[in-house]
Amino acid sequence: MSEQSLIDAESASRVGTVAATATGEVNRRDWQRWATAVDDHNPLWFDTEYARAQGYRDIICPPLFLQYAVLGVTTLDGLRPDGSSGAVSGSLAFPRAPRRMAGGESTQFFGPAYHRDEIEMVRTIKSIVEKQGRSGRFVLVTWQTVYRNQRDELVAAATTSMIARP
Amino acid sequence: MSDGQVFYEDVQTGDSLPALAVTVDERQLFFFSAATYNGHRIHYDKDWARDVEGYDNVIVQGPLQAALLARAITDWIGGRGRLVEYAVQNRAIAFAGEELTFTGVVTGKRLADDTGLVDLDITGRRGDTVLMPGTATVALPRRENRS
Repeated sequence: MSEQSLIDAESASRVGTVAATATGEVNRRDWQRWATAVDDHNPLWFDTEYARAQGYRDIICPPLFLQYAVLGVTTLDGLRPDGSSGAVSGSLAFPRAPRRMAGGESTQFFGPAYHRDEIEMVRTIKSIVEKQGRSGRFVLVTWQTVYRNQRDELVAAATTSMIARP
Repeated sequence: MSDGQVFYEDVQTGDSLPALAVTVDERQLFFFSAATYNGHRIHYDKDWARDVEGYDNVIVQGPLQAALLARAITDWIGGRGRLVEYAVQNRAIAFAGEELTFTGVVTGKRLADDTGLVDLDITGRRGDTVLMPGTATVALPRRENRS
């Protein structure tokens, strides 16, 4: 007797396809709010004179903030019951594994992003697999994401994952 | 943080980064959710966290743990250091109010196209429990290139 897969056919069919594309402007107030929430007061994110003394043309966006510069908006009615927007996952949903948490991320950073840089993100679904963990079955979803700026320079490339559990 | 620039030549395999200890409270969870457009209730709705998702309290965002671990690195590498590669896994959750420690150790160093690269094993912990293991590569300035 085989257990029913946690992965529905519709989700499985999306492996290899583009899950999401987004563009957004890097904004220093937004990254400074993020850095302050992390209690990260690195002067590279805040102090132009300091950043210039280190060889940058201005303050730079914290590398880990870049992923948020392209986030869109979701209406309140469009939120999932758990309050999440689906913006990050490209609206993949697993009815048989509704509890979600971030799995991990691996990112290469190729150069700095500055205030008002225009970033284009393209995210592809790399894999969706069911796994058995200590606390039971779960779905591991992996995306590949590239970030380019307005000069078509590769700024960052990331592999991210999400865990969905019954 | 950035006054004492660390140089490639100064770093040896086995060196430890200064540990960063943080106790995330609910205000910080709120501001991080706001700054990342994260509406997930498990970070602010205790009833939802407990009754629907089975957690004892609101939990620290995985990306906040990742950001704190990155902060331990960027604090250490100084203004002329650069984060080149960063990889972490969420292995366990953390609750608001728990003291978390973010550390790193140098696992190797190498020159690539005249750039000094340093590899790190990085870890976010609560006591002895590893919450977030990972690896990172940073580029550090070299002493002979100092202008």
